Amino acid sequence: MSSQMSPLTMYQLVGVMLLCLGLLGFILRRSLIGMLISVELMLNGAGLSIVAAGQLTPTRADLSQLSTLLVMGLAAAEATLVLAIVLVVAKRFGSIETENISELKG
Amino acid sequence: MTYPEMAKILFAFYAVLIASGGIMAVAAKSLVRALLGLILTLFGVSGLYMLMNAPFLALMQMLIYVGAVVVLIFFAIMLTKGADRGRESGTISCGQGLLAILAAAAPAALLSWVCLHGKNVAREPVELSIRVLGKALLNEYVLAFELISVVLFVAMAGAVLLGFERRRAR
Repeated sequence: MSSQMSPLTMYQLVGVMLLCLGLLGFILRRSLIGMLISVELMLNGAGLSIVAAGQLTPTRADLSQLSTLLVMGLAAAEATLVLAIVLVVAKRFGSIETENISELKG
Repeated sequence: MTYPEMAKILFAFYAVLIASGGIMAVAAKSLVRALLGLILTLFGVSGLYMLMNAPFLALMQMLIYVGAVVVLIFFAIMLTKGADRGRESGTISCGQGLLAILAAAAPAALLSWVCLHGKNVAREPVELSIRVLGKALLNEYVLAFELISVVLFVAMAGAVLLGFERRRAR
């Protein structure tokens, strides 16, 4: 961690790291729940980046904090829906592994 | 110890927490362990919010993510547990892993380049009181506030609808 790097850059780099890890998990994971966990990682990176952009620059701080609240609400809604979809898929296919539930040939 | 030094140490601690949690969430074989990694990451991000002088967001992060989302994911793991006890089957070949790392690192490299070469406009973080946030939420951003309620309601209704679905012949 070099001292000439501004705090804003460091916070943004942590957000980028979360995005990178989330993308990696989204590609590598083989079950739907693992992919959901990776999506949550990416959304966290987005929230962190938005708050850093609002708190550490002359942008309006309330805008950034409320946007992050919006992202959190969206994440909660998305998790609810994905839970229901995962349950239906598990009931119908007997598995939540992406290899087993793909029906298209090729 | 001065305040900036303390902040740097705390930032490093939270960054390490986030990184280790994220790696655990991506690489753990068992889904429950991956979920524990996610919780570690969420607490680290919450600490960073606190460090950025946004305590309300830090509390909301804990309430919404750790309190609601993680519990939901845990329920999903529990209810769909197969014979393999929440473990993912199959292994990833070396080439696949390499390609995945490449695909994840390309956008990250671009974004970090942008971060490192952007104009430096940093300032000290300001603390907003909850009163200001609430007023902004009910005056300027009331549309977003109402929309997120509708989105949450529709998601819950859809989840209930999906839960009632009968088993159909494929």
